[in-house]
Amino acid sequence: MKSKLALFLVLIMLISTMATGCTSSQTQAPAEPPKTEDPANEPEGPAAGEPVKVGAILPLSGSAAATGVKLKYAIEVAQEIINGEHPDIALPLAETMGLPNLGNAPIQVVFSDHQGNPEIAKTEAERLIQNEKVAALVGAYQSSATKPASQSAERFKVPFVAGSSSSAALTERGLNYFTRIAPNDDMETEVFFEYLKYLNEETNADIKTIGVVFIDNEYGVHAAEMVDKWLEEKYAADGFEKVVAVKYPTDVTSVDTEVQQIKAANPDVLFHASYIGDITQFVKKYKEFEFSPKAVVNYCGGFQDTQFVVNLDKDGDFFSGGAACAPTLFSTMEVADKINELFKVKSGGENIDGPALEEFASLMVVADAINQAKSTNGDAIMEVIRTAKFDAPYFSTGAIQFDEKGQNFYSASFIVQTQGAEYEAVFPVEIQTAKPIAPFPTWTERK
Amino acid sequence: MLGQIISNGLLMGFIYSLVAVGLTLTWGVMDITNFAHGEMLMLGMYSAFWMFQLYSIDPLLSIPISAAVIFVLGILIYKLIIKKVLGGTGLTALLATFGLSMFLKNLVQYLWTPNYRYINGAIVTDNKIVIGNIILGMPQVVAAIGSIAMTLIVIYFMNKTKTGKAIQATALNRDTASLMGIDTGKIYAITFGLSGACVGVAGALMSSFFPIYPQSGALYSILAFVIVALGGFGNIKGALFAGLIIGLTEAVGGYFLGTQFKYALVFLIYLIVIQVRPKGLFGW
Repeated sequence: MKSKLALFLVLIMLISTMATGCTSSQTQAPAEPPKTEDPANEPEGPAAGEPVKVGAILPLSGSAAATGVKLKYAIEVAQEIINGEHPDIALPLAETMGLPNLGNAPIQVVFSDHQGNPEIAKTEAERLIQNEKVAALVGAYQSSATKPASQSAERFKVPFVAGSSSSAALTERGLNYFTRIAPNDDMETEVFFEYLKYLNEETNADIKTIGVVFIDNEYGVHAAEMVDKWLEEKYAADGFEKVVAVKYPTDVTSVDTEVQQIKAANPDVLFHASYIGDITQFVKKYKEFEFSPKAVVNYCGGFQDTQFVVNLDKDGDFFSGGAACAPTLFSTMEVADKINELFKVKSGGENIDGPALEEFASLMVVADAINQAKSTNGDAIMEVIRTAKFDAPYFSTGAIQFDEKGQNFYSASFIVQTQGAEYEAVFPVEIQTAKPIAPFPTWTERK
Repeated sequence: MLGQIISNGLLMGFIYSLVAVGLTLTWGVMDITNFAHGEMLMLGMYSAFWMFQLYSIDPLLSIPISAAVIFVLGILIYKLIIKKVLGGTGLTALLATFGLSMFLKNLVQYLWTPNYRYINGAIVTDNKIVIGNIILGMPQVVAAIGSIAMTLIVIYFMNKTKTGKAIQATALNRDTASLMGIDTGKIYAITFGLSGACVGVAGALMSSFFPIYPQSGALYSILAFVIVALGGFGNIKGALFAGLIIGLTEAVGGYFLGTQFKYALVFLIYLIVIQVRPKGLFGW
């Protein structure tokens, strides 16, 4: 018996070690960088013919691997465009091979798997910088992983361009080597409220009460805080009121209890900050327990993954969320369409989604910046990243430019709604491909 | 509302029980901590998924197939890995099964991508039982009934068959059982196979309502370890009741104290119980 208990203790220790990445964000204070390992002081460019290495830290295994693999495909597409000759794609670096200002040096992306674990993200960032000598880092999808990885990059003065991580806290840390392309949850929340006001004006939805459903990590908790912030600062005056907040663990076997809490409060609209596995389970339970809110808006996460409509089909209809792209817009966006075609070759026919397009953009920006800087020196690259305006015709905004905090102020986010198992752009009205449908039909009313 | 919460907790509890019954057989009988138990469950879910996807066999009908597949896998794991480390320390077997769990997860991800997969269109999908204000999802109800049936079959097998009694004798004292003419090697192999069959059944039952992906067995496996320790090592009835306690704690505690704490409550209950009964609620 004693041996069994001893084994159980070992087991618990192992489980705790494995689970650390899933429960909370890591907030290490930036330490002094090792003086002997400062890439900023290293030679300015690669030797002739040598590739320029860029590290990409992604969740390639673990519960977010389904998304991580798609982000990897998107980064590979960017690498392909940069290193190959694609005169048909109107993008910087597409026409020529490699980086013309560095002797056509190719970009070599070194992928690394953080497994959704912030601690691993941090050590992998350090490994890529110290051992692989990467000139810059991209990634890491989950904000809880991006946070420590970018802190490591800061220590070594290596630029980190986050593609899709959405926690606004990431750009509030005063880091000098960190920028982010995706709209943050602060910006998303404001857009959500404006969308709800639009729905109230244009339809008879009469949305007032809010429920916030969020995963217990950096991404979810911060998104929930942004709802409180915007209510207090602006939108409570418009009659919006939060009636329930449901925080759920990062790994769940069932969301029955969570849905009961939501159903008991019966909010008009749900703000969801969930990954693909969770949001799919929630939708199935909303249907089972016959809970039909008037609207659901989703932060950048699982809803944007096209598996959402693959797995739920029409049950996934009428959900909304912020997105950087919508396949229904590709017919009017030639570059995005071509990127999507290259992406589909890798994904087996699946369309590129918003987070993947943002990760694509992160490598394009890094490569463009290295090329413009004519150097792999971290400070020189960062100078370009901070000051240049990058062409991004694959986004509805057409450009990427970072503010003093490192946030892309041309953030390409609009609202999409699933209709007929397709993502339709519904807000703002200028890019609308379909009118939004609100309120939700009840589950029994659906065909 | 409370009725709904309790119902949800009980339904989940029965499913946890079946996963734990499989684990208690190997942990209780062989004194081996099988870290790959969750991955065996995951493979049970995938076997039901592929039967549905490739041959349109409903998960309910593929229960025997999943059970057989994971039974064979269990025996293979025993013959190829566990048997080699049985003479070593407990930690050796633990690390061997830990390695196996990592291998299986990565193999599945490589073969079938990490995508979350669902079985839509199964017999039980979208059906429900409504009793007053209580809504019971048919997939969960069927899974709970299946779990109870499988648990009873295992209890019958262990108490009424010669092999079952031989398993119990081996659990009590391997050397004495061997002296009495029991082929303990064979018994161990059968026990591992039976453990696999339990999660094979559980996997097929769960496949109609739980996402199927390479990590899908992980959390169930962790809860199963708690349930086995709570119910008493090697005690099948203990696993059944402990599963229900865990299911109820998760549902009721989560509802009233906050869903983010529901698994913390589960571990708290375990810690409290082992203070009072270190051998588990039904341990001996």
